[in-house]
Amino acid sequence: MPHLQKILASFALAFLLLVTACSPSPPSRFEQAQQESTQPKVTAVSPEAKAGGEFNRFFPQSKDVVFSQEKRGFAQAKLKQDGKEMATLSIVDLNDNSAAIAKYEDSLETVAGYPVVEVGSTGTGLLIDNRFQVKVLSRDPDFSSSDRRLWLEKFDLAGLGNMAVATGEENE
Amino acid sequence: MSKTIYELVDDLPERNLTIFALNSLDFVIPGQWQNLTGFENTIREITGETDEAIIQQIGDRAVWLYNDKSQGYQQALWLYQTIDRAGSALGSAALANKVGEKIPLLGFLNRLTPKADRAQTLDLSLKLVVEIVAYCRINGIPGDSIGDFVAALVDNYTGPSLMRMSALVCFDGLIPLGTNFLSQVETTLNNLSPKALEDNESYQRIHDSIPGNSTTGKLEFINRSFESVQGWMGDLVRDRDLTAEKVADRLSSFIDFSEGKLDYLAAFLDVSTNYYEHTGIQTLARSLIERAVAEI
Repeated sequence: MPHLQKILASFALAFLLLVTACSPSPPSRFEQAQQESTQPKVTAVSPEAKAGGEFNRFFPQSKDVVFSQEKRGFAQAKLKQDGKEMATLSIVDLNDNSAAIAKYEDSLETVAGYPVVEVGSTGTGLLIDNRFQVKVLSRDPDFSSSDRRLWLEKFDLAGLGNMAVATGEENE
Repeated sequence: MSKTIYELVDDLPERNLTIFALNSLDFVIPGQWQNLTGFENTIREITGETDEAIIQQIGDRAVWLYNDKSQGYQQALWLYQTIDRAGSALGSAALANKVGEKIPLLGFLNRLTPKADRAQTLDLSLKLVVEIVAYCRINGIPGDSIGDFVAALVDNYTGPSLMRMSALVCFDGLIPLGTNFLSQVETTLNNLSPKALEDNESYQRIHDSIPGNSTTGKLEFINRSFESVQGWMGDLVRDRDLTAEKVADRLSSFIDFSEGKLDYLAAFLDVSTNYYEHTGIQTLARSLIERAVAEI
């Protein structure tokens, strides 16, 4: 009899393993984005977006600013103070990214006349002419929301505004 | 079907030989690399964000960016994986039951073939080329000048990228070739014929991704890549006073080997770890998430 028990136990174990191995893992919360972004002919970045290098000259002029990424429609730099990364600074072309533009609709504040919103707990964004987003993101707890606004003002916002107007005219 | 970006980061192992080997280099770059795994976890760590709705938006945007082939992220991953798979003959299967106990190198000697110095120097150079090409695929060419670019490249050497470069110096430079590995690489590259380059197995795999219209042109790019980071590598060795023996000593906490077998130790690391792929996925996830959070 003990022999039979062993056989039964091993069958039960095998069955259990089979069931657990076959039950699908819960879908990821990013599954929908995965499905949508792998459809034919969809792209994440519009071919009409400005080359990232065109944004470099509008960044704050400072030896503490080190460029870190430059892709179509996007340029990013890091703000380093005493070797420590305090914040990231970025300019993005929001061409055909209506969801990102929509968050400024309820904005009640402005910096240099442009609408500003807090994004999550670590970022402040500014929108220029419904086209370019300038963002400062804290990377250190000491870098506060008011620091972010201060650094937003150091961008050449007027220059970006002129580029937005020129881009709009080109597209008309 | 290939893995999604969140699967790649979720599936990064927390405990295997690659992680042990990388952790043994903590004395080279103290506290600068943690084995960050899990996609959501990575988003939280990098951005410091706690708002769930924002985390969802960041992850979604990162998925979109990764899946847009024109953005270069998938090519970068392919490069990291391909350069690492040059000789994973032992693979993880043979070693899976070894984690947690000390691995006797003696038991693997008959399955290991140390590389000749020239092949080793070439492998190191090609890994460097992969580093630079993958960097450009992921981050573009930041700034407006060569100076901006080199500053961005070296500034990028933090976290997983810093660990990968340190492992390159230690596991592919110091252990197999000794303290003067940089001059050996320089000599090999200066005397290398295009034909000899074409004969190299790693080169055959990745040559299409190396800039240059001909083998001679690609060889020039390899030379320039080496020159651009040679100083950084030399400084690391000098500042930390690194030697093959010091690195081997740290590895001896989980690999049992006799002195004088450093070439076998190097061959063992080569076939049993995939540190380029592992840290490469971490580097890629980091840049992707930093971009995604700026774009939402």
